[in-house]
Amino acid sequence: MKYQVVIAGIGGQGAVFLVKVLALASKLKDQKCLATENHGMSQRGGSVSCFVKIGEFYSPAMDENQANLLIALEENEGLRNIQYLNKEKGTLIVNADETFPKIEHKAIKIDAFKRAKEGAFPIQSLNVYMLGITLACDQNFPFSVDEIEDAIRSMNAKMADKNIEVLHLAINDAKDLEK
Amino acid sequence: MKETLMGNEAIALALIHSNVDMISGYPGTPSSEILASYQKFKTKFNIDAYSEWATNEKVGFEVAYAGAIAGRTTCATMKQVGLNVASDALMSAAYIGLNGAMLLVSADDPGFYSSQTEQDSRSFAKFAKIPVLDPSTPQEAYDMVKLGIEISKKFETITMLRPVMRVCHAREICEVDDEVNFNPSKGEFKRDIQRWAAVPPAGRFKQGLEQFERLEKIKEYNWEELILPKVKKLKGSKILCITSGTAYGYTKEALIEQNIDADILKFDMPYPLPKEKIEVLFKEYEKVIIFEETYPCIEEQLSSPKLHGKLTNDVHKIDEFSKDKVLAALSNIGLLDKSSFYKSEKYANELPVRPPNLCPGCPHRDVYYAVMKVFKKKKSIYPSDIGCYTLGLNQGAIDTVLCMGGSVSMASGFSLADPSKTTVATLGDSTFLHSGVAPLINAVYQKHKFILLILDNSTTAMTGRQTTPERSSPELIDIKKIVEGCGIECHEYVYTPKIEKTLEFMKHLKKKYEEADGPVVAVIREFCVLDKERAPSMLPGVFATVDEEKCVACDICTTQYKCPPMHYNENEKIEIDPFLCIGCSACIDTLCPTDAFVKREN
Repeated sequence: MKYQVVIAGIGGQGAVFLVKVLALASKLKDQKCLATENHGMSQRGGSVSCFVKIGEFYSPAMDENQANLLIALEENEGLRNIQYLNKEKGTLIVNADETFPKIEHKAIKIDAFKRAKEGAFPIQSLNVYMLGITLACDQNFPFSVDEIEDAIRSMNAKMADKNIEVLHLAINDAKDLEK
Repeated sequence: MKETLMGNEAIALALIHSNVDMISGYPGTPSSEILASYQKFKTKFNIDAYSEWATNEKVGFEVAYAGAIAGRTTCATMKQVGLNVASDALMSAAYIGLNGAMLLVSADDPGFYSSQTEQDSRSFAKFAKIPVLDPSTPQEAYDMVKLGIEISKKFETITMLRPVMRVCHAREICEVDDEVNFNPSKGEFKRDIQRWAAVPPAGRFKQGLEQFERLEKIKEYNWEELILPKVKKLKGSKILCITSGTAYGYTKEALIEQNIDADILKFDMPYPLPKEKIEVLFKEYEKVIIFEETYPCIEEQLSSPKLHGKLTNDVHKIDEFSKDKVLAALSNIGLLDKSSFYKSEKYANELPVRPPNLCPGCPHRDVYYAVMKVFKKKKSIYPSDIGCYTLGLNQGAIDTVLCMGGSVSMASGFSLADPSKTTVATLGDSTFLHSGVAPLINAVYQKHKFILLILDNSTTAMTGRQTTPERSSPELIDIKKIVEGCGIECHEYVYTPKIEKTLEFMKHLKKKYEEADGPVVAVIREFCVLDKERAPSMLPGVFATVDEEKCVACDICTTQYKCPPMHYNENEKIEIDPFLCIGCSACIDTLCPTDAFVKREN
């Protein structure tokens, strides 16, 4: 299996957390995984783009038109990284409202900021919320809900329950989305 | 045992598995998590070891090097520009050698993600004549730490490990030792004045000859142990790709995915290379091409008319590698008809740029705002330094950035060269202790007239909030006392989010400057909003919102203050993003000329 993911967002949104979850989920599934993330200067509210490559790879970095999945924690960061997403087989899962422009790729939009403002989940969990949407909407996503839950638990048992709650909230919200 | 590790964690774990019990260094992206992870593992495995942040890279290097002279197994960590600071010690240590073992980890940053330069530490190792190992993944970084310690012991030389950002900040499921059997060597300094205190010319000349002999032995080792086993596996194509480190990953993936028939020979130790033995291999090939990040370190050690690389203009010379760059190079030497295989279109319309910015609530922002209000743009020169506060660039409050501590000596230079302007320099607490003290002494005794603001947030913020000497031991180290010890008064201001107070302090400093005949120095006691220990008690938790009736869209807040939550909404009025506002309250009161920022209820 080969599956490549880009996680795009703004410094502080927890993109690196998602990298860790996917890397741990790969380990639990005995899959090879190479990932790379941004630290330092890039984290001060600047653009962040992380890559996760699951399967037989030798370099953690990503070339254009390669990703099977682009999780965008913010819409402009999604568009800024759109060149990485494969045009035929790639899926964009983006935190955006109805004004999000039409693109060539398959795109699933959800207004996560709006749900956070409504108080559905704390803004710090937006990353996990978008992972839940991914689980529900990307048919090719290589992990099951149980596998992601196990990965979250293996990271930090104390915080796990709250994160898993948000994960399921997202999966439930995704029922109303056009897939 | 399998562990999911970031490259820097893999390096730290391997240091423990190699019995390294003295480690020092200075933080710098992408190297910072090595020492921090070592400290975590130390606690986890209940290990007795020395692991401390040094005041700068040279200090860290020298502590670790002395340990290795005295028979211990040691390590110094830094980023590539930190190696410049430590290089004085390194160049001599490379002649002298050691008794125990020492791994020097210098992390490179191809693509300038968080660095001023893209310099290649492998070429620095070549310059210093020490062996260097170049890992391509976290797993290799783990394995090469162990190998590096072994080589250091065997040849009595410092050995360098050169991971790049895509190794340090990569994550991989690594195979590591099951158990920790920590058994460090006991330190014992053995007097050998001829060696440890060799003096020029005769003493050092002799060591210089020994260094050449050592390099020949290491070349032989490199061939027998590291290169030959790989040569035996070459399948025999017309093209040979020579590579090392992360460049290997890009090359291997590109060749597999595009089904290109070529041999790959990866050097684990790109310096020193057994030139003659390697060149014999070229006979079997039509063309040889070298892929390496970022300088032509391997290429400069080899010569053949068949050779292609950066020096022949076939491979790109600057910026991070990519698979597409590998293929472009193969196209340049006539192997492929097209040069682009992975291209896709970027989003066609313009996207709002998102440059890194000071965090919401960061005290640096208020300081820079007040500096610009009081000292003005046209009448002053603003040298600054390396740290979070470099982001004062966004407020137009910085004119020059050079290197760690450079702001202070450059303030001297500017004040001499253009005395009609007021020079106002800014640097952080950690940077001041790193390399700001010597230039301050210089300025004091030579009476250079400028203003120096030491922005003391009590942490090394940019690189992940490592503990500073002052934070660790406030009863011993106090920046104010250090400045006073340099021979001048140190003005002190304890930051509050009331901008009028910060403005008042800057006006006070301006007056002091007018009366002064030497440097005017102030320490501004701040905090870092990401500092979980100190920030909660410092932030008032008073959140701001905008009274749209009062906002006249004058742009003052978005151009001079630039707090990330502030932006224009569809009514063309300023709005504060409630998710980003941290509740510092600083914008309420003085900032807005029409008082549009008001307290947000609930």
